[in-house]
Amino acid sequence: MDIHFLFIQLFNGLVLGSFYILLSLGLTIIFGMLGVVNFAHGAIYMLGAYAAYTMVEVYSWNFWVALILSPLIVGLIGMLIESTLLRRLYDLPHFYNLLLTFGLMIFIEELIRIIYSPIAKPFSTPQDLLGSVDLGFMLFPKYRLFILGITTFFAIGIWVFLEKTKLGAIIRAGTDDSQMVDALGIDISKIFTLVFGMGAGLAGISGALAAPLQNIFPYMGMGILADTFVVVIIGGMGSIGGSILGGVIIGELITVGVIFWPPLANTLIYIFMAAILLIRPRGFFGRARFFE
Amino acid sequence: MSERKKLGFFIERWHFFLIIPLLIVLPFLTPHHSLASEMLIFAIFAMGYDILFGYTGLLSFGHAIFFGAGAYGSGLILIKFQAPLFIGLLGGIFLSLIIALIIGFLSVRRKGIYFVMVTLAFCQMFYFIAFKWTSLTGGDNGLHGVPRPSIGTFNLDSELHLYYFILILFAISLLLALRIVHSPFGRTLQSLKSNEDRAKSIGFNTDRFKLISFLISAFFGALAGGLYALHLNFVPLETLHIMTSGDVVIMSIIGGIGTLYGPIFGAMLLVYLKNLMSGWTEQWNFIMGILFITSVLTLRRGILVELKDRFFPKGSLWKGD
Repeated sequence: MDIHFLFIQLFNGLVLGSFYILLSLGLTIIFGMLGVVNFAHGAIYMLGAYAAYTMVEVYSWNFWVALILSPLIVGLIGMLIESTLLRRLYDLPHFYNLLLTFGLMIFIEELIRIIYSPIAKPFSTPQDLLGSVDLGFMLFPKYRLFILGITTFFAIGIWVFLEKTKLGAIIRAGTDDSQMVDALGIDISKIFTLVFGMGAGLAGISGALAAPLQNIFPYMGMGILADTFVVVIIGGMGSIGGSILGGVIIGELITVGVIFWPPLANTLIYIFMAAILLIRPRGFFGRARFFE
Repeated sequence: MSERKKLGFFIERWHFFLIIPLLIVLPFLTPHHSLASEMLIFAIFAMGYDILFGYTGLLSFGHAIFFGAGAYGSGLILIKFQAPLFIGLLGGIFLSLIIALIIGFLSVRRKGIYFVMVTLAFCQMFYFIAFKWTSLTGGDNGLHGVPRPSIGTFNLDSELHLYYFILILFAISLLLALRIVHSPFGRTLQSLKSNEDRAKSIGFNTDRFKLISFLISAFFGALAGGLYALHLNFVPLETLHIMTSGDVVIMSIIGGIGTLYGPIFGAMLLVYLKNLMSGWTEQWNFIMGILFITSVLTLRRGILVELKDRFFPKGSLWKGD
């Protein structure tokens, strides 16, 4: 086999893994704080892609403006969802909120289908990022390198935010015991809204970033949501390191798996998940008693 | 058996003896006979699902797998081997139970929401396999040409005959499900739901109980799936889609979980509604989304209980309520 091709696929695996990392980071911080598995996360990712599409392809705005605005818009929608709907169900068993987000997923997907039609839409790569870069041992598209850069930036940024800032400390405390944080005089409900908005914004930016790599369509979020669940099951829910490790592993398994066994590359990740469930049911970095 | 005990059998199951006569006339009340069949098929699916979700407290988003495996398994056996009807149905159930054993064994190791995610991921996997394995499953086009073999001289080609065949299986399923939930085993499942740690500390092997509950619900799901293949004469790929899992969840919630009769009612209501809006088939999923959100927000105890409480608050109908 061509070693050069293997290198390219390894890099592509990192790019695919980047999307899983951004999505599972959002999923994990929402879950850690609110105890909600956000089934609408894939639909929110799709919203990010459509927001960017509307700005760039419909109104011909600059791609960079779209990249900044779409996560903000999607984040605001997320905050609206949290403060009007999810909030009503916090006192009930966790699965009611999970079901609510499942309903939201269907609603958002169908709404976008009605507005934009179910037909897939092309999205062109931004002018500034066309072409390839010579990495010495291979050529690699600029845009994909940019995705790797932006994911690294966000992963480090979130870690610094959670570990080094006061707000981050409050969020970490809330993850362990939100009632106690509330009792200490911090308005936890505002933090909840903020965290949900942040998670949604991360999904929004990954949707906007993914748009130039594929055609966008209303149901693009479902497949990636299932993959992201596999990532957090493998990495361990509520752990940033787990999200990153899981994201890279799943991304590589899919892209490298395609070389060896094309029809079942996507099945490979579930077999890997099954193996992890057997050996280490909580995943690599999963904590015992964490929302179990 | 004394007279009193015999009577007790009927009194304890009065719901059952109330609804069976209603179901006998149902196909004459619906716009066409086959709609009644579809209502009963999903009622069987939701009834079995309730044993897992309502009684054991495990929310699975993977039950499309068992419905789909039942449908594909039965359909393939009936097509490829020209097998008798019951062999086809049993084959589908067998296939489903094997899959349920593997998935159940892996997923009951995780609790709560992790269980939901694991079952959903496996659902996506089976959808993907059926989608790609075109030579066996027909892929996106579905599995066409599922025959309806006669049972002896009883011909199932008429929709009405098929309905009464399904009704018999429904009645047997319901008696079986009632027997399960009211047995000591069923009580143990309910104890897992309310406090798993306590059940474990008393000495129950809770994982094993959860696995058996998972298998029971897969059994009902596969039976419903096999009947669905007969009903349509074809297996659509959508049977394995996550939305099918979502359908059975919402049927249970709307009907009221943990009551058996609730999910049966919810399933029949939803299938009927879907048919009623057949002019808007394209928008059905949009309506489902709205239904999902509103019922989780307002109808958590099931539509009948919520409506009764809204219009006849406690004590207004009879004292001591």
